[in-house]
Amino acid sequence: MSAEGVPGPPLFELRGISKHFPGVKALDDVSFEIRAGEVHMLVGENGAGKSTLMKVLCGAYRADRGAFFHRGEEVTIGEPLDARKFGIAVIFQEFTLVPYLDIAQNIFLGREIRGPLPGLVDQRGIHSAAKRVLDTIGFDIDPRIPVHRLGVAQQQMVEIAKALSQDARILVMDEPTAALSDRETELLFAMIARLKQNGVAIVYISHRLAEVFALGDRITVLRDGRKVGSVSPSETGPDQLVALMVGRSVDTTYARPARPQAGEVVLEVKDVGAPSGIADINLTVRAGEIVGLSGLVGSGRTEVARAIFGADRISAGEIRLFGERIDGSTQDSTRRGMALIPENRKSQGLALARSVGDNIVLAGLRRLFPTGIFLPRRAVQAARAVIDQLRIATPSVHRAVGTLSGGNQQKVVIGKWLNARARFFIFDEPTRGIDVGAKAEIFRLLDKLVHDGAAILMISSEQTEIVRVCDRAYVMRSGRIVGELARDQLTEANIVTLGMHR
Amino acid sequence: MSGRTAVPTFLARVPAGLARVPGVALVLIVLCAGFGVASAGFATPTNIANILVQSTILLLLALPMTLIIMTEGLDLSMGAVLTFASIVFAVSVIATGSFALALLAALGAGLAFGLVNGLLVSVLDIPPFIATLGTLGIAQGLSLLVTDGQSVVGIPRWIDGIYSGRIAGIPLPIVVAAFAYAVTHVLLYRTRFGTYIFALGGNREALKIAGISVRGMLIKVYLFGGLMAGFAALLMTARLNSAHPTAGIGMEFDAIAAVAVGGTSFERGNGWLFGTLLGVLAVGVLRNGLNLLAVPSSAQVASIGALVIVALFIDGLRSEP
Repeated sequence: MSAEGVPGPPLFELRGISKHFPGVKALDDVSFEIRAGEVHMLVGENGAGKSTLMKVLCGAYRADRGAFFHRGEEVTIGEPLDARKFGIAVIFQEFTLVPYLDIAQNIFLGREIRGPLPGLVDQRGIHSAAKRVLDTIGFDIDPRIPVHRLGVAQQQMVEIAKALSQDARILVMDEPTAALSDRETELLFAMIARLKQNGVAIVYISHRLAEVFALGDRITVLRDGRKVGSVSPSETGPDQLVALMVGRSVDTTYARPARPQAGEVVLEVKDVGAPSGIADINLTVRAGEIVGLSGLVGSGRTEVARAIFGADRISAGEIRLFGERIDGSTQDSTRRGMALIPENRKSQGLALARSVGDNIVLAGLRRLFPTGIFLPRRAVQAARAVIDQLRIATPSVHRAVGTLSGGNQQKVVIGKWLNARARFFIFDEPTRGIDVGAKAEIFRLLDKLVHDGAAILMISSEQTEIVRVCDRAYVMRSGRIVGELARDQLTEANIVTLGMHR
Repeated sequence: MSGRTAVPTFLARVPAGLARVPGVALVLIVLCAGFGVASAGFATPTNIANILVQSTILLLLALPMTLIIMTEGLDLSMGAVLTFASIVFAVSVIATGSFALALLAALGAGLAFGLVNGLLVSVLDIPPFIATLGTLGIAQGLSLLVTDGQSVVGIPRWIDGIYSGRIAGIPLPIVVAAFAYAVTHVLLYRTRFGTYIFALGGNREALKIAGISVRGMLIKVYLFGGLMAGFAALLMTARLNSAHPTAGIGMEFDAIAAVAVGGTSFERGNGWLFGTLLGVLAVGVLRNGLNLLAVPSSAQVASIGALVIVALFIDGLRSEP
């Protein structure tokens, strides 16, 4: 269904919305319309104003200027309750679910069906009501299962069911596929198609170009708080869209620069198996090359990384780093120059409330301060060197890491290991949650690392990234390596063919 | 939903047998078997009834403590509030001769401290550990002030009938405790109040978005704690036939231990009321058994600490994949 095919006034419309924060103009005269049965993509780099716009729409922020129209009639939205009245619901990235309540209790939280006595909840009533809501989105699950037993994708389904049970006509989704596997993403897309048919409007914020084009009926691009265009996916190509987003013509395909001949073998994994579910893993990584580790989510990539790093016990085989067998502890691995940059920077890689400088020196304390006494000046010096080397955009070495953008946080994690003199890096999904511009910069950084003689093993769910960045790649399926692709065989099609379940 | 065993998926995944039994139940069984062998006096009907009766005061505290801990809170003042309410009860019943007035006064004292705790935690946003540490000091100080450090004696003889009396052959304290357990169970698993307790610890933001007052909920939870401390004071005064300004010292420790032993987590609103009941019994059995074996009370405190660690260790072992 195309946008032009729906007659009459839009279901909801924002006109001329402006919003200031101290020192920042977050939104400047932005207009946006939502039509029933339409998926409206909202794209833009981090900080472009997408989230602010959505918060204005759902009443979390009050606009400084602008007007709202519901089915052509002017309305006001000043608080969340107003937005809910018009059927606007937001599926946040951070779910609003209670882990030890069951699915039904979560769906009806705050709107429980009253039982026979005051205060009592009609449990049977909410379970059958929940079942009906779940049926409408085609999610077949027992509503009595507590939410903490569900996977991320299932939790998202519950979140969506919760919104629909409140008669949501407009669903706002903020990067809903960020934490989903390919298969779960397909389920989500199928559900979105179903919602569209039922006349639900969907506003969809995304960083992934592929899904923008696969799902969107219309694409609105924001840049620096301004709307730079509303385009139709059938008339616009990915390159044009990215050019709109970044305001300059960017080569999204990041031409892989020439690399030096690969050097000595840095990592050698022989017949490794582990209780975490991987078996017969054989791989090598040489100095000066980036080796990809691909496969579907759940195929065992992260488990391989953890086994190599010594974070998980191995039950078979051996791992050699610079020719020497390592003993399977993280202390040993890091001491010998290995670094693991985990998928979840926030919980595993960074102390967000501490300064950029503190984070950078954290992994190299023993090298910087062999006597065990912390010398602030030396720490700042070392941190500054890394900040310059990686061009981390931070106003000061003392700024808290949590205030930096995703791309710069990622650089701080890398800087931390550079400071520790790491020579072999494992990157687990290095570009997750990072916008297009920062991605290219992270790739340049990886390239610089290998140019300086480091070796890199890179895990990524996005085949395009593996193809663009890596010299070679291994493909995993069900805990085993099912193939190795040399540079001339490294195509998305080959990765997908090898990695798919049969 | 009533506790963890009611979940079908859980049953399906865990192999039958020992692995399904929570740590606290194993600990309780082992303790009973051990004391049964070590002491001839343990496994007698009289002693078992004794254990149950003696556990009632602790249960009255551990029930609200479970709810408070589920909200990621804590009430360190419970033992001291119990003491203070007991003194208020004793003094009032001596002054007025009226049981009803004295009970109201004791419940009022408990509720007042519950309200203060709730306000400190919700409105002033003081961490529960600090807030209730403060009210612990205040309640304890008031108790010493009112009594000048002496026991309050001379309460009417008939009061001890509350502790020693029976209804249909069942000791009155057990009837009170069973009633309190049933009420708390319904409160936690069948009411909106209970649903929101899971949410307070599990995802406060979800509660706010649903339009529920987080402050109001927190105040109610601590009020419930104060109310139950008031009822517990009634049983304790009747048991001692007097009120003493140090009688309830450390009871919050036993209550927190019973909750922890029972498998309630201090995070994410993961609580289990029946586990608390088993935890209270485990503490009761341990104290009773050690008494029979003439172990000094200082060593008993240490053994309760060990009990917490052992029970949680067993649970931890089994949560491994």
